[in-house]
Amino acid sequence: MIALIRFRLAGYARSHRAIQPLIGLLPLLAILYATPIPAGEELGAMADSAGILLPVFAWAARGLLDSEPDEQRMISIAAHRRGELLSGLIAACVFDLGLTVIAELALLARLSADPGIGAIMVGVCLHLFSVLAGVALGALTSRPVLPSPAVSSLALILGYLAILLISASGARWLTVPVMSWMKDGHHDVLLGNLPLLAVQSLIWPLVGLAAYAWLRRTRP
Amino acid sequence: MTNLSFRYGRRNPWVLSDATLVLRPGDVTEILGPNGAGKSTLLRLLAGLLRVAEGTIEDRPSVVGYAPERFPAAQPFTVAAYLRHMAAIRGADPRRIGEWTERLGMDHLMGHRLPDLSKGSAHKVGLAQALLCEPGLLILDEPFAGLDTATRAELPTIIGEVAARGGIVVASDHQGELRTLPDLRRHEVRDRTIRELPGNTAQELPGNTAHGLPGNTAHDTAGVARGVPAQGVTALNDSGHRITTQDGIRPGESSRSVTVLEVAVTTSRAEELADRLRAEGHVVRVAREAAE
Repeated sequence: MIALIRFRLAGYARSHRAIQPLIGLLPLLAILYATPIPAGEELGAMADSAGILLPVFAWAARGLLDSEPDEQRMISIAAHRRGELLSGLIAACVFDLGLTVIAELALLARLSADPGIGAIMVGVCLHLFSVLAGVALGALTSRPVLPSPAVSSLALILGYLAILLISASGARWLTVPVMSWMKDGHHDVLLGNLPLLAVQSLIWPLVGLAAYAWLRRTRP
Repeated sequence: MTNLSFRYGRRNPWVLSDATLVLRPGDVTEILGPNGAGKSTLLRLLAGLLRVAEGTIEDRPSVVGYAPERFPAAQPFTVAAYLRHMAAIRGADPRRIGEWTERLGMDHLMGHRLPDLSKGSAHKVGLAQALLCEPGLLILDEPFAGLDTATRAELPTIIGEVAARGGIVVASDHQGELRTLPDLRRHEVRDRTIRELPGNTAQELPGNTAHGLPGNTAHDTAGVARGVPAQGVTALNDSGHRITTQDGIRPGESSRSVTVLEVAVTTSRAEELADRLRAEGHVVRVAREAAE
């Protein structure tokens, strides 16, 4: 399994596709942190970062899963059966975690005051939720599920917009509560609401990944 | 494989319906059938790549080697790096890579990037990765397509070795190269079912290789049949493909009489007719002739 994960990551990194999410990530970081983050705004900035980078994580996950040609995926399935699916998802998580490290380092470098270890851990948690949601969205829009690149790209964008709209509405429990992360972060209630937000933030990506696994049964 | 049915979606027609196939350790099985009959689908089902809609596939060996019809060469690796990754994924000894690359005549390709390979060279990489893991079930989709003469000659030996150590080999083979193997089992996929055909023509005449080889003409075919008294030849004076069949050849029967039958057929129907004749157990060679 580890060898298969390494193969997926190597194939993605050596192809031009690995640069594509950086095209989204680096300008976003440049805009977000053009000015230093004022003292007291650390949690809000971390929540903004996690929410805004979700489509970048989804884009990277989709790119990684799609970088393997269909016939190579068949060869991998012959080698590892269900391990092929899991290795792709883990490889996508690993790559997205690399992007998270870049984003966190940029954020920490632009803080005006020391946020404390608690705030940093909350920021890390929110980014992990964002990575998980991004991987689920990327997987559900990857080629085995949506073979058309145009439909897939559109589905990814609309999927993110739907997450934003639903999480801003009264039915925010119906999706990953991205807008709640940001709102609570800026109103200093994020720490208190984190347990409930964590449950919602984990359930929906897991439902999405389960749906992906179910769809892949008939879509090798 | 018992009472297996498969289709690619609820709105799509059945590719296989209530099909049954029994493979035993040591079997080498050739899958025949016209284009689009479902040969590749059957191979993928056997390899466990597709989910069975109805029926069961039981006792599939744990190690499956799969070489697709078209190797996916659009990958950012050199041949050596790719095979090292494959060996690691399959838990195979990386030192065995050299053994297979030598046997398949691809030592000189190790430093080449996969996208730069010719079709035949890429196909060899596909075969090498399938063989690295010492498969208990080896699935080969058109394994001879695009291979050079030396590798075409070596591959049946390799397949025989896999079978000799108890492995099961299933291959689709339009070229008919597998028929040099003794005890070859043959199954035809047609009309959504699988039916077993008469066994191998082990004493197939030497030089009976793929069409398209230099000198592979109707006249050469007659030369191949030299020493075998022909009972009759029918030649139609029409342009297109000329198909020569040598009937009645069975193991140990090479000295019996055969009939060399030449049939001229239009290009569009040549492959279908050749498949049908092969399915009936005849040896078929195809020679192209320019239209007048």
